[in-house]
Amino acid sequence: MEILITAISLLGLLTVAILIGTKGHPTRFFTAFGESIRLIWINRGPLFWVAACVVLVLGFLFFYYASPATRVGAAQPIPFSHRLHAGHKAIDCRFCHSYVARSHHPGLPAVEKCLFCHNYIIANHPEIRKEHDYFNTNTPTPWIKVFYLPEHVLFNHQRHILKDIACEACHGEVREMDRLKGERFKMGFCIECHREKKANLDCWLACHS
Amino acid sequence: MDRRTFLKLAGMGSVAFAAGCNAHPEKHLYTLVRAPEDMVTGEATWYASTCRECPAGCGVLAKNREGRVVKLEGNPLHPVNQGKLCARGHAALQGLYHPDRIHAPLLKEKEAWRKISFDQALTIVQQKAHAAAASGPDRVAMLSEVTGRHLLDLFVSVLAGHRSTGPLIFEPFAYESLKFAHGQLFGRAELPGYHLDQADLIVGFGADFLETWLSPVEYSRKFKMMHAWDNGTKGFFAHVSAYQSLTAANADQWIMCRPGSEALVAMALIAQLLDDGVGRDLPGPFRVALMEASAGYRPAELAEKTGVAADTLRILAQRLQSARRPLVLPTAAASCGTASAAADLAVLMLHAILDPDFGLLDFDQRHRVEIAAPRAQINAFWQRLADRPVDLLLLNRVNPLYALPADLPVQKVLDDARCFTVAFASIMDETAAAADLIIPVQHPLESWDAYESKQAMTATLQPTLGRISPAPNIGDLFLNLLPDDRRPVGDYRHYLTERIARENDIDSPDQWLQLVQNGGRFVAGRSASKPVPRLEAAPVRTLAEVLDRLALPAKDKMVLQVASSLRFYDGRHADRPWLPEIPDPVSQVAWQTLAMVNSQVMAARGWQDGQEIQLATAHGKVVLQAYGHAGVHPELVVVPAGQGHTHMGRYAQGQGVNPVAVLGGQTDAQSGAPDYAAVIDRMDTAGGHAALAILSGSRIQYDRKIALSVPLEKASDRDRLEGLTMNDFPLTLPLPEGYDHSRDIYPPHDHDGYRWGMTVDLDRCIGCSACVAACYAENNLGIVGEARIIEGREMAWMRIERYQDPEDPTRMIFLPMMCQHCDNAPCESVCPVYAPHHSKEGLNNQIYNRCIGTRFCAQNCPYKVRRFNWFDWEWPEPLNLQLNPDVTVRSKGVMEKCSFCIQRIKAAHHQAKNESRDIRDGEVVPACVQSCPTDALIFGNLMDPNSAVRKKIEDPRAYQVMGYLNTKPAVIYLKKVVQKL
Repeated sequence: MEILITAISLLGLLTVAILIGTKGHPTRFFTAFGESIRLIWINRGPLFWVAACVVLVLGFLFFYYASPATRVGAAQPIPFSHRLHAGHKAIDCRFCHSYVARSHHPGLPAVEKCLFCHNYIIANHPEIRKEHDYFNTNTPTPWIKVFYLPEHVLFNHQRHILKDIACEACHGEVREMDRLKGERFKMGFCIECHREKKANLDCWLACHS
Repeated sequence: MDRRTFLKLAGMGSVAFAAGCNAHPEKHLYTLVRAPEDMVTGEATWYASTCRECPAGCGVLAKNREGRVVKLEGNPLHPVNQGKLCARGHAALQGLYHPDRIHAPLLKEKEAWRKISFDQALTIVQQKAHAAAASGPDRVAMLSEVTGRHLLDLFVSVLAGHRSTGPLIFEPFAYESLKFAHGQLFGRAELPGYHLDQADLIVGFGADFLETWLSPVEYSRKFKMMHAWDNGTKGFFAHVSAYQSLTAANADQWIMCRPGSEALVAMALIAQLLDDGVGRDLPGPFRVALMEASAGYRPAELAEKTGVAADTLRILAQRLQSARRPLVLPTAAASCGTASAAADLAVLMLHAILDPDFGLLDFDQRHRVEIAAPRAQINAFWQRLADRPVDLLLLNRVNPLYALPADLPVQKVLDDARCFTVAFASIMDETAAAADLIIPVQHPLESWDAYESKQAMTATLQPTLGRISPAPNIGDLFLNLLPDDRRPVGDYRHYLTERIARENDIDSPDQWLQLVQNGGRFVAGRSASKPVPRLEAAPVRTLAEVLDRLALPAKDKMVLQVASSLRFYDGRHADRPWLPEIPDPVSQVAWQTLAMVNSQVMAARGWQDGQEIQLATAHGKVVLQAYGHAGVHPELVVVPAGQGHTHMGRYAQGQGVNPVAVLGGQTDAQSGAPDYAAVIDRMDTAGGHAALAILSGSRIQYDRKIALSVPLEKASDRDRLEGLTMNDFPLTLPLPEGYDHSRDIYPPHDHDGYRWGMTVDLDRCIGCSACVAACYAENNLGIVGEARIIEGREMAWMRIERYQDPEDPTRMIFLPMMCQHCDNAPCESVCPVYAPHHSKEGLNNQIYNRCIGTRFCAQNCPYKVRRFNWFDWEWPEPLNLQLNPDVTVRSKGVMEKCSFCIQRIKAAHHQAKNESRDIRDGEVVPACVQSCPTDALIFGNLMDPNSAVRKKIEDPRAYQVMGYLNTKPAVIYLKKVVQKL
């Protein structure tokens, strides 16, 4: 994607330069090459500004929408990979989010839970050492929240899991993501599915309180 | 303004508006380091413990969410409260999470506090105690609140280890006169339990058992077991006293007597009963002595002295004779010296005549508060300390500097440099502020301990949450004060476990676990130790002596009576913001301390409610706001105790007035009872009229049919109403069957399986406000404070309304008022944005994120139950830890109101769905219903013909508040049943 955007921007710049150099007749670029170069050189000032604007705009567009950082989500205090654990190693979601079928909250694994395995697996990896430090200093891991729900909404995980709604339906393809991108859920997202499945649409009885 | 400025301002405004709308949600998710087995995030874990807010000691269940306690409920297994809890019990949480709680020991150095570590503090106490013990016997003194047996034993052994005696148990309300009376008649100064539930007639002589007396939750429940209208039967309750406490306001007949003349009334009843030939089976000498003693107290002769008409007393005597199981109750918790001693002894004699077996007294289930020392001993203790200072004075959770009258040398002792004072306290109260060292100790909800409210039980306390404070358990502190050779192995928990296990024959961890899970072991066995009354001449002689000493105040003098407070007890609860915020049910005034004066006296002096008056007694003067109330004897001014703290945290300090400051410290010579009454030398205006923080709009109903009553004879009459006027509008249920073409424009609602509704039995409601406190705890209601209440901006979702009978203003009806969840809700139709929304189960939902704050709904609500958030309310840390995570905290600009505890309805729905069934009747219990000690509130599904709530509305007493508006409320009230003597 980023290569495509870069290519398009460079191509665009080149086209503008050629159009200026050939006074609107691009085929002349090949017939009167020297003249075109001269004209381009004469217009180098305006061309520079045009180029600068294009680079800035495209740079902005790129960093705002297309930068790799916008797709992988926030950097976590420990670079835990959902792709590796849930995808590659195929650990069930409920192993770590163990309350998901019996409570509103899915539950986050306690620090000790990570170490149940990582006391044996890559125990001395620098990132795992961090986890050990959290455990030894009795510090809760400050994970960055990625899925947001407004505070006046109480989402019940248990209800949805027991209705066989897959985790991916809301959380996306977690198994393919190293860093979760997350989502700020909007009411429309919930309503759409509730309508479709003929679920409870009552304000308070369903979601709010 | 030119165009450019306008555009600039508009641009800036919209940017600021948009920026202001941004939510700032929590950015982090914190994990636990080690996950406790019993904690599932999102689900509550319940821990059984025992409430230690007052000596009654009810069992509580603490609801723990994510490691913090968010709500207390009564323990259904505990025999004292059986699942119910009073307002003060609920507010225990605010003591736990009080923002001004002390978290580190404070040592006073040159009038300033220095924080020290707990080890340093312990070392100081150890050194001081050693030095004191070395310098002679009785050099260490201790004053403690009422504690459990095991902790008390530990205190005793620590003091004995330092060659001292004690501790002395200090309770401001220690029932000296009642213990004295029992000591005279039974030879044992005890406080037996009362079987109010088994009586059919109760005559009280001041005992405020619905508020503070001995065990209010227990007695509220038992009282309504005998007194509630139940298929044509209803017990009778008459109350003789000089002022109308909440208990007296719940009496069928309140008999006003002159201040201090309860004993005379009891004597008159004795004389009348003996004249009528009651008590012929009594032992001869006792009966003869009693006849002689009561000879001068015939009703006719006493009318002048007591202010009670002779006929009233004769009728009362007749009722006592005709009653199957009459019960007479003694005087109030706040005693009046000799007057109380005389009255309690006379009442016990009256009891002996009516029931020589004392079958309604339970000597097995005696009240723990009986271990409290009489006031005379407390006074002697301070006097001794003032004359001969000890080296070390230990004060365990007591506040004598506040609770004792100023003429005792408490301040002098605490100021004395020779006496090192250690206060074990959680908050900087008056006494702690005067101490030399403050050691904060764990709140009872954080501690391992045991408290036996009654003799035949073991009741345990266990930590119900993680640590809010690093403070140690007081038991551990005292174990460390034991000499090395006598110190048991392990900590206080271990010490306690061993002793309880030994007493209860527990030999396996499973049994222990079960005991702790149940909150104790409650056995209802009867022991053989029931005392035999000494029905002889000697106790009667004592009665005559006390009566001789009884001097009624002169008629031209006013008397100040300090009453124990429903909300603050003796003042120990004044720092819990819920309690002052919830208004006193009788006066409906919050936050302020009132002087209750007879309405006619007020009128004669030209005073309005709120007039600032000054009361001067021989011991000092106070300025209070006067409040006119017909339920006060014209010679009396009643001031509730509990406010006017000079310290004690941000909510109590400087709020209200402490009336104890103008009392004298003298006690009754024989019983040692303090005198909570004092003669007023001068009473005059002091300044102008100050606004009252009053929540009531009016004392009477102007015939609007809000709180209704029905005479006993007519309570079963079913009158068919089928009209359209105010007087003949029928009960219209919020169901399709309540639809009538002639009255309704809109078609009926289509409800989906459930239509939630509530019944409120006004005959059972005693106005104790436990439901209101439960609502505050459950629904994250904001505390607005005195100034905002004066502006009319209180936030209570539920309130207790009180209405006076226009004919007899001492007859009151208490009416719990909350959102009525109408089927024709006036609020729903006026909202421009559909924020009030009628749900498919009949609930009137307020959708906070839709609400734009027009307040049209509140304007259109005839029940005044909608509350607008004029501000963002504050929960200073760590008070915010109490917030219920299942309920949204509303912010500024949003309307809110009772939701019928929607979170609990949803929880029941989830449970039912998990088990693929419908919600069972009684499964949804809103916080108010759960808490009600008298079961006045019942909640359920109106569409289920077999539900308890549906059966209840079949009662002929059922009506809807202002039902003639055809709002079709889902809260159905049942009329109060009134009867006359």
